[in-house]
Amino acid sequence: MKILGVGGGGREHAIAEKLCMSEYSPKIYWISEYTNPGINAICRSTKGEHIRGSTIDPGKVVEFAKKVKPDFAFVGPEEPNFHGVADALEKEGIQCIGAKKAVAVIEMSKAEMRRLQWKYDIKGKLLFKTFRSSEEAHSTLDKYSKTLTWLQNVALKPARQAGGKGVKVIEDRQIYLHDEKQKFKSRHFDWLEGYMKPYADVEDKILVEENVWGPEYTLHCFTDGKNVVGMPMVQDNKNAHEFDIGTETGGMGSISGPGNVLPFLTEDEYKESLEIVKSMVMAIQDMTGETYHGIVAGQMMLTEIEGPTVIEMYSRLGDPEALNVMAMLESDLVDIALAILDGKLKNSDVKFNNKAVVVKALSPKGYPDYRELAKNHPIDADEKAIQKKGAKLYWASVDNDGKKTITMGSRAVEIAAVADDLPTASRIVESCIDYVKLADGWQMYHRSDIGTKELLAKRQDLAERARSLYLQRKQNGTLGKRTDWLPGVGRVDPVQNLKKELLSG
Amino acid sequence: MPGIFGVYPFGEGRENWSASRFLYFGLSALQGRGQEIASVALFNAEKKVFNIITEKGLVDDLFRDGRKFPTSFLGLGLVSAFEDDGIIEIKSPKKLVLAGDGKPLLHKEKAEAFRTLAKMLTKKLVAAKDSIEAVAELLSEVRGGFSFIAITENQEMICVRDKMGLKPLEVGAVGFDLGAVASETCALDVIGASHTGSIKPAEVVIFDPLSIRRKAIPSSKKAHCSFEYVYLARPDSYIGNTSVYEARERIGEILAEESPANGDVVIGVPETALPFAVAYSRVAKIPNKLGFTRTGRHMRTALKPTQFERISGVQLKLNPIRSAIDRKEIILIDDSIVRGNTLKNTVLNMKRKGAKKVHVRVGSPALIAECPYGVDVPPKDELIGRSVSDKEVAQIIGADSFAYLSTEGLAKAIGLPSKELCMGCFTGKYPEKVE
Repeated sequence: MKILGVGGGGREHAIAEKLCMSEYSPKIYWISEYTNPGINAICRSTKGEHIRGSTIDPGKVVEFAKKVKPDFAFVGPEEPNFHGVADALEKEGIQCIGAKKAVAVIEMSKAEMRRLQWKYDIKGKLLFKTFRSSEEAHSTLDKYSKTLTWLQNVALKPARQAGGKGVKVIEDRQIYLHDEKQKFKSRHFDWLEGYMKPYADVEDKILVEENVWGPEYTLHCFTDGKNVVGMPMVQDNKNAHEFDIGTETGGMGSISGPGNVLPFLTEDEYKESLEIVKSMVMAIQDMTGETYHGIVAGQMMLTEIEGPTVIEMYSRLGDPEALNVMAMLESDLVDIALAILDGKLKNSDVKFNNKAVVVKALSPKGYPDYRELAKNHPIDADEKAIQKKGAKLYWASVDNDGKKTITMGSRAVEIAAVADDLPTASRIVESCIDYVKLADGWQMYHRSDIGTKELLAKRQDLAERARSLYLQRKQNGTLGKRTDWLPGVGRVDPVQNLKKELLSG
Repeated sequence: MPGIFGVYPFGEGRENWSASRFLYFGLSALQGRGQEIASVALFNAEKKVFNIITEKGLVDDLFRDGRKFPTSFLGLGLVSAFEDDGIIEIKSPKKLVLAGDGKPLLHKEKAEAFRTLAKMLTKKLVAAKDSIEAVAELLSEVRGGFSFIAITENQEMICVRDKMGLKPLEVGAVGFDLGAVASETCALDVIGASHTGSIKPAEVVIFDPLSIRRKAIPSSKKAHCSFEYVYLARPDSYIGNTSVYEARERIGEILAEESPANGDVVIGVPETALPFAVAYSRVAKIPNKLGFTRTGRHMRTALKPTQFERISGVQLKLNPIRSAIDRKEIILIDDSIVRGNTLKNTVLNMKRKGAKKVHVRVGSPALIAECPYGVDVPPKDELIGRSVSDKEVAQIIGADSFAYLSTEGLAKAIGLPSKELCMGCFTGKYPEKVE
C-alpha cells in the first residue's frame, strides 16, 4: 500500500507517524513546502519519498500523485483544502481524506459558516455582522451604536481563515475606558482590511461577532458524509504566553483526556457538540451538493447564552490538537481512511484510549507577530532523551537541508506526553523542554502552565459558571434568547432582527 | 503598603494602547492602600526614557482634569500612604523605574531600601547575559517581605515576589492584547482584565515584547502578611485563590464563637469591619444593622499620619445613625485597634446618641509590635494592645466589654497554617531574623 500525505507541520508529522504504524505497512510519500525531518525520516524508513513542493498548487500535488500512484491521499492543513487539492486528486482518480473546496468553505469563510448555521438553524450560534471594507465597518457601527448594544462587546475577526491571526476581543463594558477601546476597535478595522488584501477568494473581509465567555474546546470528527464520528475533546491554548496573556497564536499547546470528555466538561456537552458538528456537515453538503470526506471539527465554547457554541469550524485536524487525538487513537488510521472512502464509516471503527495527553509547542521568540525574528535559527533537539522521559517530539515549522534544521518562524517543535492524568503529562513535557535548543542562542518560549493543576482549576471554575447559567436558561426556556431594551426605542430582539436581515439578503 | 500596578501590551499594534488610562483606573482601585501620594512612570519608546509624574494626595489629584499625560503604551504606577514613597528611577548603567510594596531588608528607611534594590537590579541586569537569571540571583540575595514591578529601557517588565510571599502580586489578561500585574485583583477587575494567576512566592516573571518568562528560586518558608486579609486588601480582591471577603466573614464567625456578647444589635465600623459584623450577627443570631453613615471620601483612619487627621478623619467619616442604636445594647465590631482614640470617639458618640451598652469586638489580635516590612504600625509605646489588658482597654474607650480575635482564630479564618503566615505585628515574632 502507498499513501500520499500533504503538508509539513507538527500535525502532519503526527498523521504520518500514525499512518506508518498501520498493519498495512504502507509506504509513505509526502509533499510539503519545507522538509520536516520527522516526516522525511518516516518516508525513508517506509521506502517512500518526500518531495518539496507547493501544497496549495493542486497541479503540483497531482503531478507527484500521478508518479506515486497512491492508494489514497491524506491532506493535513486547511489551505490545500481551500485551493481544491482534494478536488484535483479525485479528478485523477485518487481518493482523498481531505475536504473538497466546496465543503471546506465551512472553514475558509467564517462569514459563510455563520450564515449557514443561521440558515439551517443549528444550535450554538452567535450574533454577527460582516463587512467588505473597513469603511463599511466604521459607518455601520456608527449607525447601530445606539440600537445594537451587542456591538459594544465583540470579537473582531478576519472573515476568512487566515493563519489563525488577527482576532481581537474587545469588551467595552467599562464606560470610563470606552474611548480607549473604541479607538482600538477602529484601528483594528483598518488593520484587518490591510491584512485581508491578499485574500481575493472571499468577498467578506471583516467579521464582527458578539463577545461570549466560557471554556473553549475542539471536537474533531471523522466523516464519510453520512456518518460523523467524534474524537476525544481537546482544549487548545491560544494566548501566546503564560497566564493566558498575549497575542493569539495557532495554539501553544493542548490537552485531552482522560477519555473522550475533558475534566471540566460533561458527557451531555460532548453529545450536544457532536450533534452540532454533524448538523453543520449535513448543512454544508445540502447547500453545496458535495460529499464531505475526511475530517471536520467544531472549535467550540461553552457559553452562558447558548451552551455549546460554535466559534469556528475546521476542515481538518487542529494543530497542535492533532497530536492529542493521534496519541489517543487506538484503531488503525488506514482502516478508518478506507472506511471513509468507501462511505461505510461506523462508530465501531474508531476507538480511542482513556489516557490523558498534554502537548506543548516551543516557539522561537518573535512568533506569532514578528515572524522574521523567529526565522532562520538553527535548532537542535535530543529526541532520544525526550523519548527516555516518556514523551515524543514532533517537528513543526522547520526546514532541513540535509545537514541542519532551521526554524521557519512559527512553532518549531511540539512535544507530546501521554499519562494517566493531565498534570503528570504536563510535568513529563516540562522535563523535556531543555532538550530543545536554538544553536545560535536565540531564545525559545513555551507555556509551562498548560495542563497544570492550577490552570485546570481555572478552567473548571470558568466552566462551572458558564454551565450553571446556560442550564438555568435551558430550564426557563431562554437558551439562545437575547433581549434588550433601549431608551426611546423600546424592546429589541437582536436574534429576530438578524434573521430578518439574513432573509432579506 | 503601597499599591502597585503595571500594564503590558503584546503583539502588532501594541504601541497604540494608552497606558495612562489603564493606570488611572487600576490605581484608583488600589487607592485604599494609600492616599498620600500617587505616581506613574510612562515609557517613551522613541527616546527610551521614562516620564514620571507624581502628585501628593489621591489618584484623582494626579489625574486631575486638564493634565496632559505623554503618549505611552507601557507604564507602571504606585499609590502609598507615605509621602516619601514613590517610583524609583535609575538612570545608569541601565535605565529603569521600580515601584515596590513591602520592604526589602536593605536599609532602615523604606524608600532607601527600594532604591538600593533598584541599584542592585540595574547592575545585575547589565552584568548578566539573561535578565531572568540576573533577577533570580538578586531575589536569592535579598531578604525581606516585598513585591515589586520594574520596567527597563529594553521594555522588560520585571515582576517579583519575595521568597516568603509576604506581599501579594496578581496577574490578569485583557483579550489577546494586554497583561497586567497588580497588588490586588480589584485593580484587574476595574480595567476589565480577568484574573489569570498569581506571581508565586520566590518567583520572577519577566514580560518582554516577545514573551513572558517565569523562574522560581528555592523558597524559604512561606509567610503571607495576615494584615492584608484583615485590613489592607479590598474585600472584592483575591489573594491567590483566597477571597478576602470570605476570610473577613470567617473572622466575624470566629469572633462570635470566641467572644460572644449579649446585645440587641451588631454594628460594624465601616468599611473594613462590615463583613465581620455580617458574619458575627449570623452566628450570634443577633440582627445586624448599619450604624453609621459616611461623610466625604473613604479615608483609612488607621493609616493617616497625624493625630489630628485621625480624629478629624473619624468624625467626618462616621456619623452614627441614631435610630439604629438608641436604647439598644450594641455589639460594635471594628477591624483593628491601634491607639484606641478612634474607637474611644466612636463609643462616646454612640452612647451620646442613646446606646445603653457598647460591647467592642475587634476582628484582629492586639497590635503589639512594629512591622519590619513597611506597614506603618506606630511606635511600640503608642500601641494600646501592647501593655493594656482587655479589661482596661474597655475602660479606656468607654466600652462595656472588649475582646480581640485570637491569633489562632485569625489563622483559621485566613485558612492557611499559622506557620505560613506572618503575624509579626500581633505576636512580635517575625518569619526571619529582623534587626
